[in-house]
Amino acid sequence: MKSTVKASGAIALAALLASTAMVQAQSMAELEAAAKAEGMLTTIALPHDWCGYGAVIEGFKAKYPEITVNELNPDAGSADELEAVRANMNNTGPQAPDVLDVGLAFGPQAQAEGLLMPYKVSTWDEIPADVKDPDGHWYGDYYGVMAFGVNTDLIDTVPTKWEDLLKSDYAASFALTGDPRASNQAILGIMSAGMSRGAEPGEESGKLGLELMAEMNKAGNFVPVAGKTGTIAQGQTPIVAAWDYNLLAWRDSLAGNPPMEIVIPEGPSLAGVYVQAISAYAPHPNAAKLWMEYLYSDEGQLGWLAGYCHPARFVAMSEAGKIPQEMLDKLPPAEGYARAVFPTVAQQEANKKVVSEQWDAVVGANVQ
Amino acid sequence: MMGSPRFWSWAALVAGLLYFFLPLVGMFEFSLRARRGEYSFQAYTNVLSDPQFRDTFLYSVTVALFTIVLGVLIVAPTAFWVRLKLPKLRPVIEFITLLPLVIPPIVIVFGYIRLYNTSSWLPLTGTAFGTNLLLIFGYATLALPYMYRAVDTGLRTIDVATLTEAAQSMGASWFTIITKLILPNILSAILSGAFLTFAIVIGEYVFAALLNRPAFGPYMVWMGGNKAYEPAALAVIAFGITWACMGVIQLATRLSRHNRVQR
Amino acid sequence: MTDATLADTVAPTPQTAPAPRPRRANPLPLKWLGVAPFMIFALLFLILPTIHIVLGAFQTPEGDFTLRNLQGLGVPQVVRPFMLSIKLSLLTAGLGCLIGLVIAAAVTKGGLPGWIRDAMLTFSGVASNFAGVPLAFAFIATLGRLGLITVVLKEVFGINLAATGFNLISFLGLTLTYLYFQIPLMILIITPALDGLKREWREAAEILGASGSQYWRMVALPVLWPSLLGTFALLFANSFGAVATAMALTGSSLSIVPIILFAQIRGDVLQDPHLGYAIAFGMIVITGIANLVYIVLRTRAEKWIK
Repeated sequence: MKSTVKASGAIALAALLASTAMVQAQSMAELEAAAKAEGMLTTIALPHDWCGYGAVIEGFKAKYPEITVNELNPDAGSADELEAVRANMNNTGPQAPDVLDVGLAFGPQAQAEGLLMPYKVSTWDEIPADVKDPDGHWYGDYYGVMAFGVNTDLIDTVPTKWEDLLKSDYAASFALTGDPRASNQAILGIMSAGMSRGAEPGEESGKLGLELMAEMNKAGNFVPVAGKTGTIAQGQTPIVAAWDYNLLAWRDSLAGNPPMEIVIPEGPSLAGVYVQAISAYAPHPNAAKLWMEYLYSDEGQLGWLAGYCHPARFVAMSEAGKIPQEMLDKLPPAEGYARAVFPTVAQQEANKKVVSEQWDAVVGANVQ
Repeated sequence: MMGSPRFWSWAALVAGLLYFFLPLVGMFEFSLRARRGEYSFQAYTNVLSDPQFRDTFLYSVTVALFTIVLGVLIVAPTAFWVRLKLPKLRPVIEFITLLPLVIPPIVIVFGYIRLYNTSSWLPLTGTAFGTNLLLIFGYATLALPYMYRAVDTGLRTIDVATLTEAAQSMGASWFTIITKLILPNILSAILSGAFLTFAIVIGEYVFAALLNRPAFGPYMVWMGGNKAYEPAALAVIAFGITWACMGVIQLATRLSRHNRVQR
Repeated sequence: MTDATLADTVAPTPQTAPAPRPRRANPLPLKWLGVAPFMIFALLFLILPTIHIVLGAFQTPEGDFTLRNLQGLGVPQVVRPFMLSIKLSLLTAGLGCLIGLVIAAAVTKGGLPGWIRDAMLTFSGVASNFAGVPLAFAFIATLGRLGLITVVLKEVFGINLAATGFNLISFLGLTLTYLYFQIPLMILIITPALDGLKREWREAAEILGASGSQYWRMVALPVLWPSLLGTFALLFANSFGAVATAMALTGSSLSIVPIILFAQIRGDVLQDPHLGYAIAFGMIVITGIANLVYIVLRTRAEKWIK
């Protein structure tokens, strides 16, 4: 992904930016005025400790105090977000989300259903081509790699690979971060499991991943509860598979009580991209566009970087020297990213289909 | 009664007390573990200084107060009127007040979402204000059985018909009768209903979550997933509030016993 | 509010009125105005929403009558939660009844000091309202992996609770948690019934040579039977509709009916919007039947308890 950008980006970029800058500057003022007139932005599924969204939202509020940010259900999964758009097609009230942040595989699905409104932010061209829709319906925002977070108060030997999780030491210890039928993070957790058994990302990874989860469930090591900071610390889910940026943020919030260790499992490391989109039925379309402009501005991108995520414009910004060194140092070690695999949209969709349809049948994990 | 039966009684009581008190002790102890290696009230400090705690708690308290006022305004005059003028209607009214206990709250709020969304004749969910109204009405519905039972019991102890006749023969209007004569006499009953309503509303989750309102219940659930020791502190606070409410109800009932006319 | 009822309430008045007083000559409709606010409130916020759901269970998205939604209840993703909910409710109601009865009997009839009874009733009032989210937290803090009891068992008695296979996030764990508000509810309801067991009956039984257990078997339990069964039905309905405790304890992964309905309302996980109506309808039917049983048996029981 990085090489693609390096090859095509730099020269064209400067020229394009120069020409579009003038055009965008005009409409920016209009956009701001229109957004302030709308006065509200409804977001969904943005936990404050996910990629530093808390600080990002505060930054937006500070910049545009006339716009109230109405935050819906921070624990919603990607599928829940799409459902919220569908359920509120005729509703212009505060329950209808304006903007979405969903897993890569959910972008094309939502586009096909006509749930998205296209929009190209002013820094559009700095977003890598393989993580955005050419017509602007959805565009990549940040990425990280799948890792294990372990509560070392409860777990003595930290697992280093997916196969370790089948051992009897980890009885009733492992959890995903959500329902594998709805949560992108959980679905890709299973893809990572499948890839650790040698599968290609896509249908095969879904199949083998489900097999591993079925074995784990049979061994009694799987806990069908959504793993988060609270459940890790309170002991229901001492081991959770999640994005490294989430685990790092959770570790920070626990501040050593209990201590948490983050391990990128051996084997191919799975990188997951999320995409931003505006709802086609957004009650406040201008506020939504302004939000996107903010997110893709330097300020927004650095806000995500502070939350341990690699923002979409990471390469372009680091080449332009816009990233402070201390921030770079706090990021997860580059080693995990060196062997990172970025599944394409098609591969993620294939994996998602297998997992969400067959989870019940193959694993059938219900609290018993 | 001596010997064997007494022993079993004590055994049952002790077992029961263990089951009931251990979770309370456990949650209190867990809430003290916020600082590693030592007991402290750090979790409570964190919770009480969290602006979201204050916002959601204040929101729930405000909603509870409105719910209580609404509940009293709807139930007290109705119970009085039915007792006085429409005694045959009492079973119907009682049946209606028992319905919220039969129909699961999640079904009721599902009905609200489908019936009062923006494409209906009463688009309450279209605005934040409308949704707040819907929440208050919903809570009043949930508290209806308890409020009605409390007020009805209170009315039973005063001779409504005679009091009303006496007042009317002295030229009092209906409004005066209800506010100056009936309400003060059933005050303790109303207080019981009010505090029970308060306890119900403060911790309620399903209505608030599905109507997406920033209430205390969803806040607690969110804390449970995201924080380690603060949830236990919240549980202690919630339990303390419930206990306080029940305590006031007990006090109100005991006070009323002195005033009650013995039949 | 049919014409028949109106006629009933109107007819006796002329015969019982001693002398025509200006008050009673008020036009009839005004009487009904008094209950109008209550009726409108109940209609708008209780009756209409419920009827809407019930009707919706029998409607297609276009509005035609259909039984398809109810047939849609037959899929395993719905049947399993219903079975699980019924199992859970039966178990918690049964255990709640049994344990509640034992404790209530101990406190009222067991020869214990009188103040214990009042204290237990007060505490039961608090505990039966301590359901929902805080209760789940309390149990996690006590029986969870890092809970007080788990830790004490490990460090003082050397017993590893997790190794025995016990997990709070399980059917058993949820049952244990539910009992915390089921048992007090039972105590609150059965205590008046136990009070109704007259001392004279016990004394008479003793005079006739019955032992304690014979008294319970042949006198007390048969009298209490309707109350017990009725309260069982009430506890069943109470447990069936409870959702906040389970959600706070297990997230939305425990497949009981209120949770799948919750997920369905929030996010149509079953990919069929009208199935939500059918599930809600199923819930109403089950809790409705349970409450009907409770009411019928309570009227029966009240005959003995005067």
